[in-house]
Amino acid sequence: MAIVALGSGRADTGRGGAGRADRVGACLEQARNGEAAALGEIVRELNPLLWHVARAEGLTTEEAADVVQTTWLELLRRLHDIRSSRAVTSWLVTAARREAWRVRELSRRQVPDGTAQLESAADPDPGPGERLLSDERDQALWQHFQRLPERCRTLLRIVAQVARPDYTAVAEAMGMPIGSIGPTRGRCLAKLRALLLADPGWSA
Amino acid sequence: MTDPADLPLDDDDQTILDRLAAIHAMLDPPPADLDDRVSFAIALDSLDAEVARYREQEIIGSGARGSERTHTITFDADSRAVMITIVARPDSLVRIDGWLAPAAALQVELRLPEPAPRRVVTADAAGRFAFDGVPHGIAQLLVQPSGDGTSPRVVTPAFTL
Repeated sequence: MAIVALGSGRADTGRGGAGRADRVGACLEQARNGEAAALGEIVRELNPLLWHVARAEGLTTEEAADVVQTTWLELLRRLHDIRSSRAVTSWLVTAARREAWRVRELSRRQVPDGTAQLESAADPDPGPGERLLSDERDQALWQHFQRLPERCRTLLRIVAQVARPDYTAVAEAMGMPIGSIGPTRGRCLAKLRALLLADPGWSA
Repeated sequence: MTDPADLPLDDDDQTILDRLAAIHAMLDPPPADLDDRVSFAIALDSLDAEVARYREQEIIGSGARGSERTHTITFDADSRAVMITIVARPDSLVRIDGWLAPAAALQVELRLPEPAPRRVVTADAAGRFAFDGVPHGIAQLLVQPSGDGTSPRVVTPAFTL
């Protein structure tokens, strides 16, 4: 079945494997040798991931964009310690989360009643979301996804953005390890999958 | 029976994850200029710089009928804060007035997207510096380290003039 991951940043980078990991490693090496522009490819691939990490923490679009940028700038100082594709993905996710928490605490202090936050932040609203989805299977998926516990929604939103070899590393960085040897499905995905397979709107 | 949660990922899982990524890309896409902004901000000569985090901004005046529109941004690094006021000029260029706190007569560099040359000024003893006649668009500030090595290089995120 042909799957098109629209704009997920991952569609044209393949499912991963050694080729991708080598390419990422080579970009990191070039960047360590003073060619920061070599990170451009990794930036394009991983920006959607970091964006969703920041947005899943409840930041506004402006705050999330700042967090993504700050996270990359912080990475520059750490490049000498971070050499593999897996390590860079997991470091970036951890750093972006921590940065997002910091920004969230700061903006909560500035908006004591929290109303401004609620109006401009958070997950996409389920109502308008569903209306935007023309595909029946996507509508079924979105409905079931919305009913998952928040912890599961956050994890799946984030791991959906990464190439499969980095799936475990990212789940670990999110504090929800999946499998000890290879990537396993994990509770959240198992639950969503069971709901979907029982739904004619998805299976049809 | 094996718990389904412990099974390896298969194609059905991948389909679900791919559609979830596509839906989130549709419903909550990153800003269109995010990649360019990040790529510009990290294309630095030196990897070793303290990151000044964006703290707050304030916009004063509408810019209509000759009133000046100014835009103040504060960035915080561990060692120093960088504050700038961006004033729109009538000729569609801007002037940047900035200061460093704590004050220090350090070199401050304004990075603009290529091919614009970088501009370097030296702050006065009170930490004040200025760049005039700067075009609108994306920019970034670097505060160079002190000669005696007591204060590190500081870099701001890219911001819009």
